[in-house]
Amino acid sequence: MATVRVARVPASSLGAMISSRDKLRDLWLARELLRQFVAKELKIRYKNSALGFLWSMLTPALMTIVFTALFGFAFRLDIDDYAAFFLSGYLLWQFFQNSSQSSITAIVGNGALIKKVYFPREVLPLSMVLSQLAHFLLAMLVLGPFLIVTRGWGVLWHLPAALAVVFIMAVFTSGMAMIFAGANVPFRDLQELIVVIFLVWFYATPVLYPVALVTSSAEPVVAALGRVAQLNPMSWFIQLFRSATYGNVRVLPGGAGGDVTGLQFVTTGPTWPDGGLFLLATVTAFVTFGLGYVLFNRLALTFAKEV
Amino acid sequence: MVLDALRDRTSTDADAPAIVVRDLTETFRLYHEKPSGLKERLYRFSRPSYTDFNALEDVSFTVEQGEAVGVVGHNGSGKSTLLKVLARILPPDRGSVHTRGRVASLLELGAGFHGDLSGRENIYLNGAILGLSRAEITERFDEIVEFAGVGPFLDTAVRNYSSGMYVRLGFAIAVTVAPDVLLVDEVLSVGDAEFQHRSLERMRRFRDEGKTLLVVSHDLEAVEALCERVIVLDRGRLAFDGAVGQGLTMYRQLTSVVTGDDEETDERRRHRSVEVVSSALTGRGGEALAAVDPGRPLLLQIRIHAEEDLPSCSVGARVEGRDGTTVYESHSAWHGLGIGPLQAGQDAVVEVRLMANLLAGHHRVHPVVTDPSARFTWGTGAALDLEIVPTRGATGVADLAASFSVSEGPAQRVGAERDQPTVAGLD
Repeated sequence: MATVRVARVPASSLGAMISSRDKLRDLWLARELLRQFVAKELKIRYKNSALGFLWSMLTPALMTIVFTALFGFAFRLDIDDYAAFFLSGYLLWQFFQNSSQSSITAIVGNGALIKKVYFPREVLPLSMVLSQLAHFLLAMLVLGPFLIVTRGWGVLWHLPAALAVVFIMAVFTSGMAMIFAGANVPFRDLQELIVVIFLVWFYATPVLYPVALVTSSAEPVVAALGRVAQLNPMSWFIQLFRSATYGNVRVLPGGAGGDVTGLQFVTTGPTWPDGGLFLLATVTAFVTFGLGYVLFNRLALTFAKEV
Repeated sequence: MVLDALRDRTSTDADAPAIVVRDLTETFRLYHEKPSGLKERLYRFSRPSYTDFNALEDVSFTVEQGEAVGVVGHNGSGKSTLLKVLARILPPDRGSVHTRGRVASLLELGAGFHGDLSGRENIYLNGAILGLSRAEITERFDEIVEFAGVGPFLDTAVRNYSSGMYVRLGFAIAVTVAPDVLLVDEVLSVGDAEFQHRSLERMRRFRDEGKTLLVVSHDLEAVEALCERVIVLDRGRLAFDGAVGQGLTMYRQLTSVVTGDDEETDERRRHRSVEVVSSALTGRGGEALAAVDPGRPLLLQIRIHAEEDLPSCSVGARVEGRDGTTVYESHSAWHGLGIGPLQAGQDAVVEVRLMANLLAGHHRVHPVVTDPSARFTWGTGAALDLEIVPTRGATGVADLAASFSVSEGPAQRVGAERDQPTVAGLD
């Protein structure tokens, strides 16, 4: 009575056909979706708060005031224009941290959507990164003049280098965002853990202090921190960005320091970043993106069952 | 590899099937207590506690282009899982799934709507989620707004929409995707009657355009009206694949309670040698009938003949409307009445008293003899005709015997030629 219809298509690797063909189409269709998700993120932020986009500037501005009061005045790090120094590192750090922390719930927070509609899942964390990038660029637009006022027109002159660093930073951040978003699905502790991770990571990254402070110290604990800083990709991105928007900070050899660190710093104006470091950072960024993409897509197979 | 995929796509001949499912198995891991945190993970490291559950098991079928196929089954039979695999939300765990052309799925209307965004913004967002480009959405924007009837509220946040508006907007966007294959899950059962009617219309049009349609629904009327073929899933397995009438009968049998002897084998339960040898439809006094007035009491006599010893069986009838939809169905088993035991060669006559609470049209009555739980049809008799004469004062399918009165405000008599005093309170 029951007639079971048998497929007429040969059994040869239907699965493989789907994956290569559809990945291609998905990538093409994902553009518009990505655009819409980014627009959604920005609009919601704008609609739900009285200050809207101002928050993109308020946070770094307040952080700059607090840390300048502490390290520029209370502890007296002998660095020119400490506020500009801090800001040139903190803006980039904030972009990374906000992107990562909003991406971590990008999948688990969108369970209803993931269970009901198919779309390339990587669009979710990537849209978080891109909307944070928009906030970052806006903040740069408003706070950039402050850097020009304090560090001179060289900031504008070296803008192409700064933008190139922002680009590879965004590539790196996207890779990390996909790892965080994907890994949080089977391992939910990550979203609690990430707060601690970023707190430690922030202090281990030369945002508050020049990298020279930790790399040229004889003190063993500080020297260990220096070695960590040299292996920490975030420290590379911040050094590169700081070179172009603030300048380089070097330690004067043998100098008897006048500040709490016992070191004497020499600061240059905005300059072209170190080429070797830029290459290293670029390669790292793309490798991280590739790893993140592969890992994310493997984890994505079970998203609809686990969220 | 990319080129291969492209060539493959373009070279697919025009009559290639729209959907090919082969030996599909979908497994869910049911954790007894899901170890999602660090502590649990370390604690349970050596002995993960779960059972695997197959939501779908070795399901294979092919849907040709332009077919409209209904998928029915109990809750938990794997219908929705099947649709999710076809929609690529879940990857197949075993076996393969192949779809041709653009596939759109309506598993939930307005999935991805954001309450804080306006209707206009959500149209673009939802369109993009369903795979439309910006230009395509702009092109269809007016059509969407018109179908959904949300024109005046376009710039209102959808959080403030009524549930009806919300669902209408979701449906309007989804159907304008203009896919080659449309997968629908239960969405026809939402919204008011008028919306249901319109969406059913829209799906019919879609089908008539030669697109492929796969509909999961509990609404058997809708499946019957829309599909020519039906797939019945039973606990993850394909139980039936074929003509819609047969399939729905089988589904109805599956839904009725199993009360049969557990020792009996499946085969014995499904097939027994018993027949409906004759049946007759008459008035209550046994008088012959030509055309019947609505509401008339009827007597249906069904004679069965057992060709083997039967401990018990059930007799029933299904009344079919003009368009083949089931208007009414009942079985003696559902009324607590079994027939038997019967010896080989023995006859039994069952009398069914019923009321012709139907409205004008041609109906067919199908007498059947089934297993004691009315799950498996053992024998089917020749269909009987039941002609209902037109009546004044009502149209439709069923005779609900309405009468009217005015309980407040003035009333008047209209249509003086009316001979039946159906207007109360004016005499």
